Amino acid sequence: MSHHDHHEGHHHVLSDSTALKTILALLSLTVITVAIARVDLGVLNFPVAMFVASVKAVIVCSIFMGLKYENRENTVIFSTSLLFMLIFFILTFGDLLTRGDVYVKGQIIPAELQAAGPSKFSKPWIESPEIIAHGKGLFAAQCTSCHGDGGAGNGPAAAGLNPKPRNFTVGEGWKNGRKGSQIFGTLTKGLNTMPAFGSLPSEDRWALAHYVRTLGPHSAEKDSDADLAKVGVDPNQEGGGGSAEKSIPLEAAIEILSES
Amino acid sequence: MGSTTSVAGQRQHAHHFKNGREEFEACKQGMWIFLVTEVLFFSGLFLAYAILRVFYPEMVAAAHHELDWKMGGLNTVVLLISSWTMARAVSAAQRGQAQKVVSFLLATFICAGIFMCVKYMEYSHKIHEGLLPGSLFSFKDLLSVDKVGLFFSVYFVMTGIHGLHVLIGMGLILWIMKRASRNEFGPNYFTPVEMLGLYWHFVDLVWIYLFPLLYLVS
Amino acid sequence: MATSTVQHGDNYINHSQGIMSWLKTLDHKRIGIMYLFSILFFFLVGGIFALLVRLELLAPGMQFMSQDKYNQAFTYHGAIMVFMVIIPLIPAAIGNFVLPMMVGAKDVAFPRWNLASYYVYMTGALVAASTLFMNGVDTGWTFYTPYSIRTNTSAAWVLMGAFIMGFSSILTGLNFIVTVHKLRAPGLSWDRLPLFVWALYATSIIQILATPVLAITLFLLILERTLGIGIFDPKLGGDPVLFQHFFWFYSHPAVYIMVLPAMGVISEVIPVFSRKPIFGYKAIAAATFGIALVSFIVWGHHMFVSGQSAFANYVFSLLTMFVAIPTGVKVFSWLGTLYKGSLRFDAPMLYVYGFLIVFTIGGLTGMFLATVSLDVHLTDTYFVVAHFHYVMVGGTLLGFMAGLHYWFPKFTGKMYKESTATWAALIINIGFNVTFFPQFILGALGMPRRYADYLPQFETLNRLSTVGSWFILLGFLVVAYNLWSALKSGVKAGNNPWGALTLEWQTPSPPPHENFTNDPVVTEGPYEYVGEKALMGVNGAV
Repeated sequence: MSHHDHHEGHHHVLSDSTALKTILALLSLTVITVAIARVDLGVLNFPVAMFVASVKAVIVCSIFMGLKYENRENTVIFSTSLLFMLIFFILTFGDLLTRGDVYVKGQIIPAELQAAGPSKFSKPWIESPEIIAHGKGLFAAQCTSCHGDGGAGNGPAAAGLNPKPRNFTVGEGWKNGRKGSQIFGTLTKGLNTMPAFGSLPSEDRWALAHYVRTLGPHSAEKDSDADLAKVGVDPNQEGGGGSAEKSIPLEAAIEILSES
Repeated sequence: MGSTTSVAGQRQHAHHFKNGREEFEACKQGMWIFLVTEVLFFSGLFLAYAILRVFYPEMVAAAHHELDWKMGGLNTVVLLISSWTMARAVSAAQRGQAQKVVSFLLATFICAGIFMCVKYMEYSHKIHEGLLPGSLFSFKDLLSVDKVGLFFSVYFVMTGIHGLHVLIGMGLILWIMKRASRNEFGPNYFTPVEMLGLYWHFVDLVWIYLFPLLYLVS
Repeated sequence: MATSTVQHGDNYINHSQGIMSWLKTLDHKRIGIMYLFSILFFFLVGGIFALLVRLELLAPGMQFMSQDKYNQAFTYHGAIMVFMVIIPLIPAAIGNFVLPMMVGAKDVAFPRWNLASYYVYMTGALVAASTLFMNGVDTGWTFYTPYSIRTNTSAAWVLMGAFIMGFSSILTGLNFIVTVHKLRAPGLSWDRLPLFVWALYATSIIQILATPVLAITLFLLILERTLGIGIFDPKLGGDPVLFQHFFWFYSHPAVYIMVLPAMGVISEVIPVFSRKPIFGYKAIAAATFGIALVSFIVWGHHMFVSGQSAFANYVFSLLTMFVAIPTGVKVFSWLGTLYKGSLRFDAPMLYVYGFLIVFTIGGLTGMFLATVSLDVHLTDTYFVVAHFHYVMVGGTLLGFMAGLHYWFPKFTGKMYKESTATWAALIINIGFNVTFFPQFILGALGMPRRYADYLPQFETLNRLSTVGSWFILLGFLVVAYNLWSALKSGVKAGNNPWGALTLEWQTPSPPPHENFTNDPVVTEGPYEYVGEKALMGVNGAV
């Protein structure tokens, strides 16, 4: 500290030579700033640029702004601003960098929508080994968290649900019935604590219905034309009928919105 | 208030301070606290920039090529020199050299003027080309680059607010120049010059970061 | 603690005459009084909006306003109360008057900037209020994007008004920090500083650091509306959640700008009316700073369902819980002060007792909301509304009422009627709880906030809440009547009717223009209610 005394009016005066040396240093650092920007240091480009800028900043603060020549009070005060700016940055980036796939570059077509390509099953309300196998895969992805791996209604999330998820391994207690179309209808609209899965393509919902029927005792019940009509299916037409709801999962929506 | 006495910088300190020294130290601290608020004010903009840079690096790389680093570099040099002339003005005020105070403040003012002229040229070029913020962006070569308007939003807001601070500084310089020419400042009172100096150096500080971030990103 | 000779007749009120002498004053005491009147005026306006909202919610269905008008009503209620009332309230209306005196100074460090802060405040407030005669605003006081970008109301002017008022807050904080640093009387070391000063000091630091971020946020939003810059607009590639980060980085510390000064008042009033030194002086001072610091790292708890990452949710939830520690330190220290004290029930203290209960409830319900798994259900319900009214009204407003009644004799040299004040305090405290406690239940039952209408099963509790609001109105009318009568024809109060030991009480009431006739010298702490001083009677004892 170059305070010689504390008499009123006697303050540190920046000498002309120090001022000159300082500006020359700053100008040299500026040349370095530009020069080093032309050299590709890869991932170091940014930190190096910031480092050089910060050296210049410290020089301006300590010499031109005089922090070097006084007690630490104002330095502490000014540094506080940098600390809180850092907090702002760190916690905000802490959110943005841990969002998952929302900020992935380019177009994302979520799996659910990709599946809604050309239909694999022209009349999905008809049971077949292929569609049951398709349903089994979907079940593992969509249903086991509540209904359990074996469909007994004992999945990990079942604990918090009231009423409990349907036990598919028994024949009784099915509120809407166990026919394919009835399970399809329940899937589409939801029931009590089970959300509506109307956003799944309808052939996926049929696949699930067929698969779920296989988990319990064999049922000879078949869908009549009237049953099919109730869920919007004309058995003489191709296609899944009961078309997928005109909605997509929320995550897909956010992704599309943020990428558009 | 104000004085035109034969001795430079004679002035009664405000009644609630014990002496002129206490008043000076209080003013200085007040200015530093104000600069703290300025840092936090700009921090939002630096954060917005950082987000663009981290998440859309190709867009930023493509967009920033439309900035002329030579003009940015010239402005950096000009502003640094203006900090030097300002520091010289403050020293002169502390020594009671009214003439030198006026000269160095004038030099600072001229540097600031050059800065604003270069800025004007940059802005008018961009406006002409359609390199504008957000929804106003219409520069055809980059129209296909996703979110490119955001870069120019950040560019214009950051350099615009910085430029506004330069303009305000220029006004303050003129005011202090006038007071200096009336021999108001001397070893016992130079507070306004020192305060102006702190403000001006801060304006320079912000540009020290803006230049590499906006113009030199690779 | 200090000595001062009694001045005859000359005080800051009669020191100079005429309205211009007030409008151009540099006297911190006059500036404080001007702020007090202006802020109380806006409190009335904001309160009217609250009564309108509650009146509409008296029964299901729309009673007398459209849904759009309802959105405007709660937006104005929130924006006015937050920006024009609760944030400046204690620092500007009480702190301006009391802080310089408490540190033994003749004024704040920058009296001109102090006056400027008042005019900046009025300008911003009038700009914002003028929108009542334009297209209004209906975004909620939080101005979330993208709706705040799209709304066809005069939102930009409200944003501009809030932007301007932010500078007033910054100037006040700046002034207080430098005053506390540079203008303390001889002998007034940091460990002898009154806790109200500590509280205002910590508040000022928050104001300096946080308010500028609000400024840039509102500024960017104005640009967003007018130029479409896109930073917060998803249609242009921007991020609406980023707006929330920017907004809450200020707005969470802002609630501590609101409550810390109130806690400071509590710390000041309790020792006087328990005739005991404060318990845990250093702990309270440290806790004040602890709260201020933690307030900056928890803002994401307003964003648990915004789309913020799960990781950020965990972090912000955990950090939020930490604020309970210093807060608890304070509450227990206050209780420790009451313990074995000679407790009084004068009006200031009634508000303190109310505060202790109500603020604790508010604070604890904050812990409910800090827990992500609960917040997911409670957010955007009336539970949140109840929580923040408990801490802001129950906390800050009751703290202000305590301070107003405590320092009223100092400001005016008159004493109000104690019995009337007691009734008013009871009505306000009871009315407050009747208004807002049912809202905790409504929220837990699922009633959403900011809805103009509600399901029939919520009617009874809503009715109760509305009736409670009428009691709050009544209580404040009684306070206004009581204090106004005291101003006109109250009993003369002496220098120190409460027998307090801080510096402002060692000088006449109302104080002279220069605050003190002799420069104070401090020789001991501000709460040394021991021996004879503990016995010093309250009400006219000096």
